[in-house]
Amino acid sequence: MAITRIGNPAIANIREPNFRNIIINGDMSIAQRATSVTGVGDGDSGYHTVDRFKFVESGSPSTVFTQSQSTDVPTGQGFAKSLKMDVTTADASLGADDAIYVNTSVEGQNLQYIKKGTSSAESLTLSFWVKSNITGTYIFEIIDRDNDRAISKSYTISSANTWEKKTITYPGDTTGALDNDNARSFELIYWLGAGANFSSGTLQTSWGSRTTANDAVGQVNIGDNTSNEWYVTGVQLEAGEVASDFEFLPVDVNLNRCLRYYETMVTGTTQSLGQALYYNSTTIYYSHKYRITKRAVPTLDQVTSNDNYQFFRNNGADAFDGFDSLSNRTTTIFFELNVSANISGTAGQAGFLRANNSACFIAFDAEL
Amino acid sequence: MIDTIEKTYDMIDNTFCGYRVTYQNSNKQKLVPLDEANTDYQAIKEWAAIDGNNITDNGA
Repeated sequence: MAITRIGNPAIANIREPNFRNIIINGDMSIAQRATSVTGVGDGDSGYHTVDRFKFVESGSPSTVFTQSQSTDVPTGQGFAKSLKMDVTTADASLGADDAIYVNTSVEGQNLQYIKKGTSSAESLTLSFWVKSNITGTYIFEIIDRDNDRAISKSYTISSANTWEKKTITYPGDTTGALDNDNARSFELIYWLGAGANFSSGTLQTSWGSRTTANDAVGQVNIGDNTSNEWYVTGVQLEAGEVASDFEFLPVDVNLNRCLRYYETMVTGTTQSLGQALYYNSTTIYYSHKYRITKRAVPTLDQVTSNDNYQFFRNNGADAFDGFDSLSNRTTTIFFELNVSANISGTAGQAGFLRANNSACFIAFDAEL
Repeated sequence: MIDTIEKTYDMIDNTFCGYRVTYQNSNKQKLVPLDEANTDYQAIKEWAAIDGNNITDNGA
Protein backbone atom coordinates (compact mmCIF):
# COMPACT_ATOMS: atom_id res chain seq x y z
CA MET A 1 0.00 0.00 0.00
CA ALA A 2 1.30 3.42 -0.86
CA ILE A 3 1.62 5.65 2.17
CA THR A 4 1.12 9.38 1.71
CA ARG A 5 1.56 11.87 4.49
CA ILE A 6 -1.23 14.39 4.76
CA GLY A 7 -0.03 17.95 5.11
CA ASN A 8 -3.32 19.82 5.43
CA PRO A 9 -3.36 21.38 8.92
CA ALA A 10 -7.12 20.98 9.07
CA ILE A 11 -6.73 17.23 9.10
CA ALA A 12 -3.30 17.06 10.69
CA ASN A 13 -4.56 14.86 13.47
CA ILE A 14 -5.45 12.03 11.14
CA ARG A 15 -3.29 9.14 12.20
CA GLU A 16 -0.80 7.24 10.10
CA PRO A 17 -1.95 3.77 8.99
CA ASN A 18 -2.07 1.26 11.82
CA PHE A 19 0.41 -1.60 11.80
CA ARG A 20 2.58 0.19 9.27
CA ASN A 21 5.71 -0.97 11.12
CA ILE A 22 7.00 -4.17 9.55
CA ILE A 23 9.18 -4.73 12.62
CA ILE A 24 7.61 -6.45 15.62
CA ASN A 25 8.67 -5.22 19.07
CA GLY A 26 10.70 -2.36 17.61
CA ASP A 27 10.46 -0.49 20.91
CA MET A 28 12.17 -3.46 22.64
CA SER A 29 9.44 -3.49 25.29
CA ILE A 30 8.83 -7.27 25.32
CA ALA A 31 11.50 -9.62 26.68
CA GLN A 32 9.92 -12.95 27.58
CA ARG A 33 13.13 -14.98 27.80
CA ALA A 34 15.21 -12.76 30.08
CA THR A 35 16.17 -9.15 30.58
CA SER A 36 19.93 -9.74 30.72
CA VAL A 37 22.14 -12.61 29.58
CA THR A 38 25.89 -12.73 30.04
CA GLY A 39 28.45 -14.66 28.04
CA VAL A 40 26.83 -14.29 24.63
CA GLY A 41 29.50 -15.15 22.07
CA ASP A 42 30.79 -17.86 19.76
CA GLY A 43 28.22 -20.63 19.47
CA ASP A 44 25.45 -18.57 21.03
CA SER A 45 23.44 -17.49 18.00
CA GLY A 46 19.86 -17.22 19.15
CA TYR A 47 17.25 -15.19 20.94
CA HIS A 48 18.41 -14.26 24.43
CA THR A 49 16.53 -11.25 25.74
CA VAL A 50 14.33 -8.89 23.70
CA ASP A 51 11.70 -10.74 21.66
CA ARG A 52 12.14 -11.00 17.88
CA PHE A 53 15.72 -9.68 17.96
CA LYS A 54 18.33 -12.40 17.52
CA PHE A 55 22.05 -12.38 18.22
CA VAL A 56 23.92 -14.06 15.38
CA GLU A 57 27.58 -14.94 15.03
CA SER A 58 29.35 -17.04 12.47
CA GLY A 59 32.94 -18.10 12.15
CA SER A 60 34.62 -18.13 15.54
CA PRO A 61 34.82 -14.62 16.94
CA SER A 62 36.22 -14.30 20.44
CA THR A 63 33.97 -11.37 21.21
CA VAL A 64 31.61 -11.93 24.12
CA PHE A 65 28.68 -9.71 25.02
CA THR A 66 26.19 -9.17 27.75
CA GLN A 67 22.91 -8.65 25.95
CA SER A 68 20.20 -6.87 27.87
CA GLN A 69 16.92 -5.04 27.73
CA SER A 70 18.07 -1.63 28.92
CA THR A 71 16.21 1.34 30.36
CA ASP A 72 18.71 3.70 28.71
CA VAL A 73 16.54 5.38 26.07
CA PRO A 74 16.43 8.61 24.08
CA THR A 75 14.96 11.38 26.22
CA GLY A 76 11.46 12.58 25.49
CA GLN A 77 10.67 10.16 22.69
CA GLY A 78 8.30 7.88 24.58
CA PHE A 79 10.51 4.81 24.68
CA ALA A 80 10.99 2.87 27.90
CA LYS A 81 13.37 0.15 26.76
CA SER A 82 16.26 -0.43 24.39
CA LEU A 83 18.37 -3.40 23.33
CA LYS A 84 21.94 -3.18 24.61
CA MET A 85 25.00 -5.10 23.47
CA ASP A 86 27.82 -4.66 25.98
CA VAL A 87 31.24 -6.07 25.11
CA THR A 88 32.74 -8.11 27.95
CA THR A 89 35.48 -9.90 26.02
CA ALA A 90 37.12 -8.09 23.13
CA ASP A 91 38.29 -9.40 19.77
CA ALA A 92 40.15 -6.62 17.99
CA SER A 93 41.12 -8.78 15.03
CA LEU A 94 38.16 -10.61 13.56
CA GLY A 95 38.88 -13.61 11.37
CA ALA A 96 37.90 -13.46 7.73
CA ASP A 97 34.82 -15.61 8.26
CA ASP A 98 33.73 -13.94 11.49
CA ALA A 99 30.43 -12.13 11.54
CA ILE A 100 28.55 -10.58 14.44
CA TYR A 101 25.14 -8.98 14.13
CA VAL A 102 21.64 -8.60 15.52
CA ASN A 103 18.80 -9.44 13.21
CA THR A 104 15.04 -9.65 13.05
CA SER A 105 13.14 -11.64 10.45
CA VAL A 106 9.80 -11.18 8.72
CA GLU A 107 7.37 -13.72 7.27
CA GLY A 108 6.71 -13.46 3.55
CA GLN A 109 2.95 -13.33 4.04
CA ASN A 110 3.37 -10.11 6.02
CA LEU A 111 5.31 -8.49 3.17
CA GLN A 112 3.07 -9.07 0.17
CA TYR A 113 1.80 -5.49 0.23
CA ILE A 114 5.24 -4.08 -0.58
CA LYS A 115 4.86 -5.80 -3.98
CA LYS A 116 8.48 -6.85 -4.22
CA GLY A 117 9.36 -8.33 -7.56
CA THR A 118 6.85 -6.20 -9.46
CA SER A 119 7.06 -2.90 -11.29
CA SER A 120 5.08 -1.39 -8.40
CA ALA A 121 7.54 -2.42 -5.71
CA GLU A 122 7.41 -0.11 -2.71
CA SER A 123 10.39 1.71 -1.29
CA LEU A 124 11.06 0.96 2.35
CA THR A 125 12.09 3.47 4.98
CA LEU A 126 13.89 2.45 8.13
CA SER A 127 14.07 4.66 11.19
CA PHE A 128 15.57 3.97 14.60
CA TRP A 129 17.41 5.46 17.56
CA VAL A 130 20.96 4.29 18.22
CA LYS A 131 23.74 5.06 20.69
CA SER A 132 27.32 3.86 21.09
CA ASN A 133 30.60 5.06 22.47
CA ILE A 134 32.12 4.08 19.11
CA THR A 135 31.49 6.62 16.38
CA GLY A 136 31.82 5.75 12.73
CA THR A 137 30.17 3.73 9.99
CA TYR A 138 27.61 1.02 10.67
CA ILE A 139 25.64 -1.11 8.22
CA PHE A 140 21.99 -2.12 8.10
CA GLU A 141 21.33 -4.82 5.53
CA ILE A 142 18.10 -6.26 4.13
CA ILE A 143 18.40 -9.78 2.79
CA ASP A 144 15.64 -11.33 0.68
CA ARG A 145 16.02 -14.98 1.71
CA ASP A 146 13.55 -16.21 -0.89
CA ASN A 147 15.61 -14.95 -3.81
CA ASP A 148 19.08 -14.52 -2.25
CA ARG A 149 19.09 -10.82 -2.96
CA ALA A 150 20.34 -8.06 -0.68
CA ILE A 151 20.83 -4.37 -0.16
CA SER A 152 23.03 -2.67 2.44
CA LYS A 153 23.12 0.94 3.51
CA SER A 154 25.35 2.65 6.01
CA TYR A 155 24.56 4.99 8.84
CA THR A 156 26.98 7.05 10.87
CA ILE A 157 27.11 7.41 14.61
CA SER A 158 28.46 10.94 14.87
CA SER A 159 28.59 11.63 18.60
CA ALA A 160 29.81 9.17 21.17
CA ASN A 161 27.41 8.17 23.94
CA THR A 162 24.58 10.20 22.43
CA TRP A 163 21.22 8.92 21.22
CA GLU A 164 20.83 9.73 17.52
CA LYS A 165 17.86 9.11 15.23
CA LYS A 166 18.71 7.56 11.88
CA THR A 167 16.53 7.32 8.79
CA ILE A 168 17.43 5.25 5.73
CA THR A 169 15.34 4.69 2.60
CA TYR A 170 15.77 1.55 0.52
CA PRO A 171 14.43 1.57 -3.05
CA GLY A 172 11.78 -0.90 -4.10
CA ASP A 173 13.06 -4.09 -5.68
CA THR A 174 11.36 -4.97 -8.96
CA THR A 175 13.07 -8.36 -9.05
CA GLY A 176 12.27 -11.39 -6.90
CA ALA A 177 8.76 -11.78 -5.55
CA LEU A 178 8.53 -12.90 -1.94
CA ASP A 179 6.89 -16.20 -1.06
CA ASN A 180 3.42 -15.78 0.39
CA ASP A 181 3.95 -18.12 3.32
CA ASN A 182 5.00 -18.33 6.97
CA ALA A 183 8.72 -18.72 6.29
CA ARG A 184 11.39 -16.07 6.60
CA SER A 185 11.47 -13.79 3.56
CA PHE A 186 13.27 -10.75 4.93
CA GLU A 187 16.24 -10.87 7.28
CA LEU A 188 17.00 -7.40 8.62
CA ILE A 189 20.50 -7.04 9.98
CA TYR A 190 22.26 -4.63 12.29
CA TRP A 191 25.91 -5.44 11.69
CA LEU A 192 28.23 -5.15 14.70
CA GLY A 193 31.37 -6.71 13.29
CA ALA A 194 32.36 -8.20 9.97
CA GLY A 195 35.43 -10.16 8.89
CA ALA A 196 36.93 -9.80 5.45
CA ASN A 197 34.60 -12.34 3.89
CA PHE A 198 31.74 -9.95 4.61
CA SER A 199 33.48 -6.62 4.10
CA SER A 200 36.20 -6.86 1.44
CA GLY A 201 34.04 -5.86 -1.53
CA THR A 202 32.00 -2.81 -2.34
CA LEU A 203 28.94 -2.01 -0.24
CA GLN A 204 25.89 -3.12 -2.21
CA THR A 205 23.66 -0.07 -1.94
CA SER A 206 21.22 -1.20 -4.66
CA TRP A 207 19.19 -4.39 -4.72
CA GLY A 208 21.01 -7.24 -6.39
CA SER A 209 22.07 -10.83 -6.01
CA ARG A 210 23.77 -11.19 -2.67
CA THR A 211 27.56 -11.22 -2.57
CA THR A 212 28.70 -11.76 1.00
CA ALA A 213 31.86 -9.68 0.52
CA ASN A 214 29.57 -6.70 -0.12
CA ASP A 215 27.39 -7.17 2.96
CA ALA A 216 29.04 -4.93 5.52
CA VAL A 217 31.84 -2.94 3.91
CA GLY A 218 33.09 -0.24 6.28
CA GLN A 219 31.38 -1.65 9.37
CA VAL A 220 33.20 -0.79 12.60
CA ASN A 221 34.10 -3.66 14.89
CA ILE A 222 32.06 -2.88 17.98
CA GLY A 223 33.74 -5.77 19.75
CA ASP A 224 37.30 -4.48 19.69
CA ASN A 225 37.29 -3.20 23.28
CA THR A 226 35.55 -4.22 26.48
CA SER A 227 34.47 -0.63 27.08
CA ASN A 228 32.28 -0.69 23.99
CA GLU A 229 28.52 -0.83 23.94
CA TRP A 230 25.74 -0.37 21.40
CA TYR A 231 22.08 0.45 22.01
CA VAL A 232 19.11 0.52 19.67
CA THR A 233 15.38 1.20 20.01
CA GLY A 234 12.45 2.60 18.07
CA VAL A 235 13.13 0.39 15.07
CA GLN A 236 10.55 0.96 12.37
CA LEU A 237 10.51 -0.22 8.75
CA GLU A 238 7.61 0.99 6.65
CA ALA A 239 6.51 1.25 3.06
CA GLY A 240 7.22 4.55 1.36
CA GLU A 241 9.99 7.09 1.35
CA VAL A 242 9.05 8.96 4.51
CA ALA A 243 9.69 7.92 8.08
CA SER A 244 6.57 8.44 10.14
CA ASP A 245 6.59 8.73 13.92
CA PHE A 246 7.26 5.45 15.68
CA GLU A 247 4.08 3.41 15.96
CA PHE A 248 3.62 2.64 19.64
CA LEU A 249 1.29 -0.30 20.22
CA PRO A 250 -0.57 -1.17 23.43
CA VAL A 251 1.45 -3.69 25.43
CA ASP A 252 -1.15 -6.43 24.96
CA VAL A 253 -1.06 -6.01 21.19
CA ASN A 254 2.73 -5.98 21.10
CA LEU A 255 2.92 -9.03 23.36
CA ASN A 256 0.41 -10.93 21.25
CA ARG A 257 2.44 -10.24 18.13
CA CYS A 258 5.52 -11.64 19.88
CA LEU A 259 3.59 -14.67 21.13
CA ARG A 260 3.10 -15.85 17.57
CA TYR A 261 6.82 -16.67 17.63
CA TYR A 262 7.59 -17.44 21.25
CA GLU A 263 5.52 -18.09 24.36
CA THR A 264 6.89 -18.51 27.83
CA MET A 265 4.64 -20.76 29.87
CA VAL A 266 6.47 -21.51 33.12
CA THR A 267 9.40 -19.73 34.73
CA GLY A 268 9.94 -20.79 38.31
CA THR A 269 8.11 -22.63 41.02
CA THR A 270 4.51 -22.99 42.22
CA GLN A 271 3.06 -22.07 38.83
CA SER A 272 0.11 -24.03 37.56
CA LEU A 273 0.33 -25.68 34.15
CA GLY A 274 -3.25 -26.93 34.00
CA GLN A 275 -5.13 -30.18 34.02
CA ALA A 276 -3.82 -33.58 32.95
CA LEU A 277 -4.67 -37.24 33.39
CA TYR A 278 -3.21 -40.71 33.57
CA TYR A 279 -3.81 -42.12 30.09
CA ASN A 280 -2.59 -45.44 31.43
CA SER A 281 -0.68 -46.49 34.52
CA THR A 282 2.66 -45.17 33.24
CA THR A 283 1.72 -42.18 31.10
CA ILE A 284 0.46 -38.73 31.99
CA TYR A 285 -1.22 -36.96 29.10
CA TYR A 286 -1.37 -33.17 29.02
CA SER A 287 -2.76 -30.75 26.44
CA HIS A 288 -1.90 -27.06 26.34
CA LYS A 289 -3.60 -24.44 24.19
CA TYR A 290 -1.28 -21.59 23.31
CA ARG A 291 -2.34 -18.05 24.05
CA ILE A 292 -1.83 -17.18 20.36
CA THR A 293 -1.75 -19.43 17.29
CA LYS A 294 1.87 -20.06 16.44
CA ARG A 295 3.67 -19.31 13.16
CA ALA A 296 4.66 -22.97 12.87
CA VAL A 297 4.27 -26.04 15.06
CA PRO A 298 6.54 -24.94 17.90
CA THR A 299 9.39 -26.58 19.73
CA LEU A 300 8.95 -27.12 23.44
CA ASP A 301 11.93 -25.68 25.29
CA GLN A 302 12.31 -27.00 28.81
CA VAL A 303 14.75 -27.31 31.67
CA THR A 304 14.77 -30.74 33.26
CA SER A 305 15.98 -31.45 36.76
CA ASN A 306 15.03 -33.69 39.63
CA ASP A 307 11.30 -33.57 40.45
CA ASN A 308 10.74 -30.31 38.58
CA TYR A 309 6.99 -30.89 38.37
CA GLN A 310 4.23 -32.43 40.41
CA PHE A 311 1.01 -34.08 39.24
CA PHE A 312 -1.62 -33.76 41.97
CA ARG A 313 -4.33 -36.44 41.83
CA ASN A 314 -6.37 -38.60 44.17
CA ASN A 315 -5.20 -36.79 47.32
CA GLY A 316 -1.53 -37.29 46.44
CA ALA A 317 1.16 -36.12 44.07
CA ASP A 318 3.63 -37.70 41.65
CA ALA A 319 6.86 -35.88 40.85
CA PHE A 320 8.70 -35.97 37.56
CA ASP A 321 11.67 -34.22 35.96
CA GLY A 322 10.24 -33.00 32.67
CA PHE A 323 8.16 -33.89 29.67
CA ASP A 324 9.32 -36.89 27.66
CA SER A 325 7.67 -36.49 24.29
CA LEU A 326 5.10 -34.60 22.30
CA SER A 327 2.23 -36.27 20.47
CA ASN A 328 1.51 -36.44 16.78
CA ARG A 329 -1.51 -34.19 17.37
CA THR A 330 0.65 -31.23 18.32
CA THR A 331 -0.25 -28.27 16.09
CA THR A 332 0.06 -24.52 15.85
CA ILE A 333 -2.87 -24.29 18.28
CA PHE A 334 -2.37 -27.13 20.77
CA PHE A 335 0.64 -28.83 22.26
CA GLU A 336 0.11 -32.36 23.56
CA LEU A 337 2.72 -33.73 25.93
CA ASN A 338 3.47 -37.01 27.62
CA VAL A 339 5.28 -37.96 30.78
CA SER A 340 6.32 -41.56 31.23
CA ALA A 341 9.54 -41.59 33.22
CA ASN A 342 9.45 -42.30 36.97
CA ILE A 343 5.69 -42.10 37.40
CA SER A 344 2.94 -44.60 37.97
CA GLY A 345 -0.75 -44.17 38.68
CA THR A 346 -4.26 -45.28 37.86
CA ALA A 347 -5.53 -44.93 34.32
CA GLY A 348 -8.28 -42.34 34.13
CA GLN A 349 -7.31 -40.39 37.21
CA ALA A 350 -7.29 -36.69 36.47
CA GLY A 351 -5.41 -33.99 38.30
CA PHE A 352 -3.42 -30.86 37.81
CA LEU A 353 0.20 -30.08 37.05
CA ARG A 354 2.27 -27.61 39.00
CA ALA A 355 5.86 -26.44 38.77
CA ASN A 356 7.81 -27.56 41.81
CA ASN A 357 11.26 -26.04 41.37
CA SER A 358 12.66 -22.57 40.84
CA ALA A 359 14.55 -23.97 37.85
CA CYS A 360 11.33 -24.89 36.03
CA PHE A 361 11.14 -23.46 32.56
CA ILE A 362 8.81 -24.23 29.67
CA ALA A 363 8.38 -22.21 26.49
CA PHE A 364 7.05 -22.77 23.00
CA ASP A 365 9.34 -21.60 20.23
CA ALA A 366 8.15 -20.95 16.67
CA GLU A 367 10.71 -18.27 15.84
CA LEU A 368 12.02 -17.56 12.38
CA MET B 1 26.16 -27.37 21.55
CA ILE B 2 23.98 -30.39 20.72
CA ASP B 3 24.81 -33.52 22.71
CA THR B 4 22.20 -36.03 21.54
CA ILE B 5 19.14 -36.18 19.32
CA GLU B 6 16.65 -38.97 19.85
CA LYS B 7 13.51 -39.85 17.94
CA THR B 8 10.31 -39.70 20.00
CA TYR B 9 7.08 -41.57 19.42
CA ASP B 10 3.45 -40.82 20.11
CA MET B 11 2.42 -42.54 23.33
CA ILE B 12 -0.98 -43.57 21.98
CA ASP B 13 -0.40 -44.84 18.46
CA ASN B 14 3.40 -45.26 18.59
CA THR B 15 3.99 -43.21 15.44
CA PHE B 16 7.25 -41.31 15.02
CA CYS B 17 6.33 -37.72 15.87
CA GLY B 18 9.40 -35.72 16.83
CA TYR B 19 12.84 -35.43 18.35
CA ARG B 20 14.25 -34.83 21.81
CA VAL B 21 17.42 -32.72 21.73
CA THR B 22 19.84 -32.51 24.65
CA TYR B 23 22.81 -30.18 25.00
CA GLN B 24 26.31 -30.58 26.37
CA ASN B 25 26.78 -29.40 29.96
CA SER B 26 23.19 -28.28 30.19
CA ASN B 27 19.87 -29.50 31.52
CA LYS B 28 18.03 -27.72 28.73
CA GLN B 29 16.05 -29.89 26.32
CA LYS B 30 13.99 -29.37 23.22
CA LEU B 31 11.05 -31.45 22.01
CA VAL B 32 10.91 -30.74 18.29
CA PRO B 33 7.92 -31.55 16.08
CA LEU B 34 8.09 -32.77 12.49
CA ASP B 35 7.28 -29.45 10.86
CA GLU B 36 9.33 -28.21 7.91
CA ALA B 37 8.62 -24.62 8.99
CA ASN B 38 10.08 -25.17 12.46
CA THR B 39 13.62 -23.80 12.54
CA ASP B 40 14.75 -26.39 15.11
CA TYR B 41 13.53 -29.14 12.79
CA GLN B 42 15.52 -27.52 9.99
CA ALA B 43 18.59 -27.39 12.27
CA ILE B 44 18.22 -31.08 13.13
CA LYS B 45 18.21 -31.96 9.44
CA GLU B 46 21.41 -29.95 8.96
CA TRP B 47 23.00 -31.52 12.04
CA ALA B 48 22.12 -35.03 10.90
CA ALA B 49 23.65 -34.38 7.48
CA ILE B 50 27.10 -33.90 9.03
CA ASP B 51 29.29 -37.00 9.01
CA GLY B 52 29.56 -38.53 12.46
CA ASN B 53 26.29 -37.13 13.78
CA ASN B 54 23.68 -39.80 14.42
CA ILE B 55 20.09 -39.61 15.58
CA THR B 56 19.26 -42.21 18.21
CA ASP B 57 16.22 -44.39 17.58
CA ASN B 58 15.13 -46.47 20.55
CA GLY B 59 11.80 -47.28 18.95
CA ALA B 60 8.33 -46.73 20.30
